Amino acid sequence: MTTQNAQLEQAEETVDILVIGAGASGGAATAWLAEAGFKVKCLEQGYWQDPSKYASASKDYEFEMLTNWSPDPNKRQLDEDYPVNDKNSPVTPVMFNGVGGSTILWTAHTPRFHPSDFRVKTLDGVADDWPITYDELEEFYDLNDEVMGCSGINGDPANPPRSPRQMPPLPLGKDGRKLISGFEKLGWHWWPSDSYVNSQRYGEGRDACNFCGHNHMGCYQRAKSSTDLTYWPRALRSGATIETGARVRRVTTDEQGRATGADYIDSKGKEQHQSARAVIMAANGIGTPRLMLNSKSDAHPDGLANTSGLVGKNLMFHPFAMISGVFPEKLDSWQGPLGNIGLSQEFYETDKSRGFVRGYTYQFQRSLGPAWIAKGGFRDPIPWGDGHHEELEKRLGSVMGMAVIGEDLPEEHNTVDLDPELTDSDGIPAPRLNYTLSKNSRDQLDHAIENAKKVLEAAGADDIHVDPMMRQSGWHLMGTARMGDDPEKSVVDKWGQAHDVDNLFIVDGSVFVTGAAVNPTPTIQALALRTADYIVSNRQDLKG
Amino acid sequence: MTTNTSNINIDKNLLAAILDRLIPAVDDLPSAGQMELTGEIVRLSGQQARFQKIFVNAMEAFATANPDFASLTGAEQDDATRAFESDSPELFDSLLTISYIVYYKDERVHKRIGWSGRTPQPDGNEMEPWDESVLENMRKRKPFWRTV
Ligand SMILES: Cc1cc2nc3c(=O)[nH]c(=O)nc-3n(C[C@H](O)[C@H](O)[C@H](O)COP(=O)(O)OP(=O)(O)OC[C@H]3O[C@@H](n4cnc5c(N)ncnc54)[C@H](O)[C@@H]3O)c2cc1C
Ligand code: SF4
Repeated sequence: MTTQNAQLEQAEETVDILVIGAGASGGAATAWLAEAGFKVKCLEQGYWQDPSKYASASKDYEFEMLTNWSPDPNKRQLDEDYPVNDKNSPVTPVMFNGVGGSTILWTAHTPRFHPSDFRVKTLDGVADDWPITYDELEEFYDLNDEVMGCSGINGDPANPPRSPRQMPPLPLGKDGRKLISGFEKLGWHWWPSDSYVNSQRYGEGRDACNFCGHNHMGCYQRAKSSTDLTYWPRALRSGATIETGARVRRVTTDEQGRATGADYIDSKGKEQHQSARAVIMAANGIGTPRLMLNSKSDAHPDGLANTSGLVGKNLMFHPFAMISGVFPEKLDSWQGPLGNIGLSQEFYETDKSRGFVRGYTYQFQRSLGPAWIAKGGFRDPIPWGDGHHEELEKRLGSVMGMAVIGEDLPEEHNTVDLDPELTDSDGIPAPRLNYTLSKNSRDQLDHAIENAKKVLEAAGADDIHVDPMMRQSGWHLMGTARMGDDPEKSVVDKWGQAHDVDNLFIVDGSVFVTGAAVNPTPTIQALALRTADYIVSNRQDLKG
Repeated sequence: MTTNTSNINIDKNLLAAILDRLIPAVDDLPSAGQMELTGEIVRLSGQQARFQKIFVNAMEAFATANPDFASLTGAEQDDATRAFESDSPELFDSLLTISYIVYYKDERVHKRIGWSGRTPQPDGNEMEPWDESVLENMRKRKPFWRTV
C-alpha cells in the first residue's frame, strides 16, 4: 500500500480545497468557499448538461426516460455512470452523475427536517441524537432556499414558522384539489409543498415552470432548480474551477494520514493526481463511502478515516410505499410537476400507540403519459390483450398517488461496501449494497397504507392499488459516514470534519445521523453550507 | 449510447403477430401488428445498447419457444405469450415496453384516446394559478409539531 502515487501526472498546482462531486452538496460548498476567497477545484466524473437537449422535447421521451435518462445508473449505463450491485437490497438506488449531480433528475420537493428529527434518542429512545439542532441549521436552510429558489407558503401548522418563501406555491391542479378534498373530509393535515421549482421567474435565466410534468428528466425550462443553474455559476464566477469527466479513484494521504489530494482518471482516460490542502467529499451517500473504502493506505488500513469502522455502515433510504387511486373523472394528472403538489404530516411525529416510533410524510404524486400508464406507472400494469383499451381510457389522466416517505432508522447491517468483482469502466470497484427493511419501517409503511386508502376513498377514488414498497425508490442516500461527537461512534464531527483526518470533510447525505421522514436535499445542502462556513471561519490555515 | 439498428436481425412478421396479441383492434383502429409499427420499434430499440440487447434476446427467445406462433389460433397465441411472460419476465417486459411506447406515440392512437400528442416541452401545459383560499381550514389548525 502506498501513501501517494508519485508517478502520476500532477494535474495542476496545489489547490486549497478539492471537492469530489458537483451535485447538490458539492455545488453549495464550492460556491460558498470560492466566494470566501479559497482556491477550490472540483472533480466531477460526469459532464455539463444542456437543458435544451433534455429528452422532454423529444418525441421519444417515453423511451428515453426508461433508458438513456433512467435515474437507475444500472439501466442508464452512460460512460460516466458506475454500476451498483443492488442484488441484496429491495431498494434500487437512483442518482445522476454530472454537474448538478442528482438534482438534474430530482423532483425538487423540498421540505425541511422537524426539530424532533435531530433528537430521536432523547425523545423516543432510538438511534442517536444529532450533534446539532434544527435551530443551528435554520440560517443555512434559509440561505439555501434563497439560492435554489423556493416556491411555497408560510404557516404550515406541522412545522416551525420559517422565513418568507421566494415565490408563491405552485398551482394545485384539478388533481391536487381532488386529493386534498380527502384530507379535508378526514380533518387531516395537508399543506402545499415547498419546492425548488420556479412558480415565477427566479434566479439567473430561469423561467417559470410551464407544467410539462417531466421533472425527472431534467428541466428544459430551467424552472426546476439544479445546482448547475444555481450554485455553479456563482462558484465559477468566484474563481472556482471544475474538471468534468474526471473520475476519482482514491483520496491520497501522507504518512500522517492527512489528505493530500486525489488520484483520478481524466476525460481522456489518463491517470492524474490533483494535490490539495484539504479534501471535501460530495459524491453522495453511496459514492462517498465507496471512495473512502477504496482509499486504503498504510495510515488508513480499513479505508479513509475509518477507525470507527462505520464508513459504509448505517445506510438509510426512505423506503417508499405508493398508494394510488383511479378517479372517475378526468383530472389531467399528467399536468404539472410530478411530485410538487402538497404533503401531509398528520402522522409525522411519534405516537407510540401506533405500534412504531417516528412517523411518515405523504407526498402527493401525479402521473405521466399513455405508455407509462399502460405499463402501470406507479401501480399495477394495465392488462395487455383483452380489456387493455378500456382500462387505459379509465386511467389516463385520472390516477393520483400518495407516496409514503417513512423514517428509516440507522442499522449497522445496512451497508455499502466494495464489490469484489464488479467495477466501473475504469476498473474502480463498484459499490455493493446490503439492505433489509426493519420491522419499524415496515410497520410505519403499513400504517401509512391503511390511512392513505382512507384519504383516497374520501376523495372519491375507486380502484385503489398498493405497492407496499417500490423497488426503484432509492432516491435518498444517507447515513454511511455519520456525524457525531464520539469518534468511536461516528466518522465526522458536527462540522463535517473527519475525526481521523483534520483536512477531510464530508458534505453529502453520508453524514446524516438519522434520515427523518422528508426528502433530504435541503438538509444536505444546509449542512454543506454550514461545513463550508466553518472552514471559512476556522480553517484559514487551508488557504495557500 | 445509440447502436446500429441496420444489422440486427428481428423477425418482423413474428413481432407483428405478437403486437396483435398485446394490443388488439379497437374502434376504427386495427390491432397493433397491422399498423406498421415494427420498423419504428426496431429503430427505437436501437437508441440504447442495453435495451436493444434485451429486446433482441427477447425476440430470439420468443421465436425459439414458439416456432409455430403464426400458425396458432388467437387463444393459443395468448397462452403462448402468457407462458413467455411468466418464464422470461425481463425479456417479455422489454417487448411490452417498446410495443406500448411506439403504439402510444402514433398519431392515430392519439386521436382515438384524445391525447394531444405534443411532446412535454417546449409548450408545457396551462394550469389555474395558485389560490390561497384552499388553506382556510388548515390555517385554523394549531401548530402540532413536536417541540424539543
Ligand atoms: C429521480 C430523483 C428524484 C429525487 N427527488 C428528490 C426530491 O424531490 N427532493 C429531495 O430532497 N431529493 C430528491 N432526490 C435526491 C437528491 O437528488 C439528492 O439527495 C441530492 O442530489 C444528493 O446530493 P449529493 O451532493 O449528496 O449527491 P449528488 O447530487 O448525487 O452528486 C454527487 C456527484 O458526485 C459525483 N461523483 C460520484 N463519485 C465520483 C467519483 N468517483 N469521481 C468524481 N465524481 C464523482 C457524481 O457524478 C455526482 O455528480 C431525488 C433524486 C433522484 C435521482
Ligand atoms: S414540470 Fe415544470 S419544473 Fe418540471 S420539468 Fe416541466 S417545466 Fe420543469
